Amino acid sequence: MKKNICNILILLALLIWIFPLFWLVVTSLKNEQDVMSDTIRLLPSNPTLVNYIKAFSSTEVFPWLMNSFIVSFTVTIGVIVLDMPIGYALARIPFKGRKVIFWLVMAAMMIPFQVIIIPLYMQFNQYGILNTLAGVLLPRLAMPIGIFIIKQFYEGVPAALEEAAFIDGASRFTTFTHIMIPLGKAAMVTTIIISFINAWNDFLWPLIAVSDSIKYTITVGIANFQGTRGTEYAMIMAGALIASIPQFIFYAVFRKQIVQGLAMTGIKG
Amino acid sequence: MIPGNSDTKDGILFCLPFLIVFALFLIFPMLFGFFISFFDWDILSTRQWKGLGNYIKLFKDATFYSSLWHTLLFVLISTPILLVIGFLMALLVTSKSAFHGAAENVFFLPYVLSITVIGTLWAWIFQKNYGILNQFIKLFGGKPVGWLTETYPAMWSIIITTVWWTAGFNMILFSAGIKQISSEIYDAVKIDGANYIQTVFHVTLPLVKPTTVLCLILQVIASFNIFGQVYVMTGGGPHGSTRVLVQYIYENGFNYFKMGYSSAMAYVLFFIIMILSLIQYKVLGQEDY
Repeated sequence: MKKNICNILILLALLIWIFPLFWLVVTSLKNEQDVMSDTIRLLPSNPTLVNYIKAFSSTEVFPWLMNSFIVSFTVTIGVIVLDMPIGYALARIPFKGRKVIFWLVMAAMMIPFQVIIIPLYMQFNQYGILNTLAGVLLPRLAMPIGIFIIKQFYEGVPAALEEAAFIDGASRFTTFTHIMIPLGKAAMVTTIIISFINAWNDFLWPLIAVSDSIKYTITVGIANFQGTRGTEYAMIMAGALIASIPQFIFYAVFRKQIVQGLAMTGIKG
Repeated sequence: MIPGNSDTKDGILFCLPFLIVFALFLIFPMLFGFFISFFDWDILSTRQWKGLGNYIKLFKDATFYSSLWHTLLFVLISTPILLVIGFLMALLVTSKSAFHGAAENVFFLPYVLSITVIGTLWAWIFQKNYGILNQFIKLFGGKPVGWLTETYPAMWSIIITTVWWTAGFNMILFSAGIKQISSEIYDAVKIDGANYIQTVFHVTLPLVKPTTVLCLILQVIASFNIFGQVYVMTGGGPHGSTRVLVQYIYENGFNYFKMGYSSAMAYVLFFIIMILSLIQYKVLGQEDY
């Protein structure tokens, strides 16, 4: 009996917590009468895809999606190219200055991004890359999150593997490309997922860096709906759902890596 | 280690690509921002030296104080709620309940979504005339509330949204902490006849203290940086009642183009966060991890 009550309470809590997501989906499938109704309609009377069609045809959702893809994809590749070598070096190469570099990068993690938005804006204005996708993505490459994931992984790899290669006369670079990179796939996957999601969700900097609506990323575009299409709630919800597709897919496939990666790097929104 | 040791050269070379980007887009802007904060500077006209003028003006600016106060209020109210809910979620997720797997997904999923999606979704839920929350209130005979358009409930609406968005993150940290507690301890207290509530208060809570401290600090730092929810849901309104520090920095910088003033404010925020981070470093250094 006590167990049943407990289960009912748990179920209730879960239902309340999932409700907003349910509401997001349901609203996006409603027609206008259902949305602007005075009574509660938990399900659409006539499920329709008209809001999705409207989002794609009457707004710039498609170019925004493309922009977000280009930005997130480029950031992810850039992060892997930049962070794999330094992550490996900090973990495995006993070189002078390693500690200093590590602490410098660590300390930089504490800098809230908000502190550098003004100088970055003026710097990029000077370079003439405001209002371009390059301007949106470049600051993301300087964020050291991936380094921590990669460094931590390589610290756990047995030294024997590397030493065998050195004895065979392989250079540091060959060892890295032929042995350590293939070995580091797990860390790479986690870094890829975390970087992609973070870049996709990025809001403050794209909001500042881009002024032409055609160059918005999807997060900025959706945020602007509030002002420009304020009362088309069903269409906005359809747009918000479209904007979340990559996260849903990533979450479904890589749940474990996402949870681990986020817990490990301790990044909070 | 290797004959003809080239570790130092290799090490630097491996680090260099990142360090260049890092210097260009993080270190330089950080120093440049500090420089800007001593000038009167909009993008169009030439800069003018002001010395500490921006900082002095800041401490006389009533809006700055109210933004700081709103940020503090947000931190003070949301942090305990987020910790308690995160902990309760973790208890469920690490329990033997039939729902533990489903619960983990349900609680964590909101966290991976973008803040603009979260903000627009909750703005719709809180909408005065057609929002589902007011429809429920009307169903039970209450009067509709202007969740985002009235001064008092607006901050609460933002807090509720934030709790829904990020409590799952704290749950993950707490779950990791709880899973590390040895099952023998639980067996022992069970034999001693402790009930569930007693076990939670006298065993689980004290043993996850390091996690609690970690959560607390990460949470406070994250909350000081709050922006997206406010920008999307209220734009700082109504009547500036939800204007937080970053919102005010944004307004000064990009609505009024007072770059110097805005930078000075960003540095005050930075100073606050740095102190919090140092406390974090200190506390985490003492605890055994």
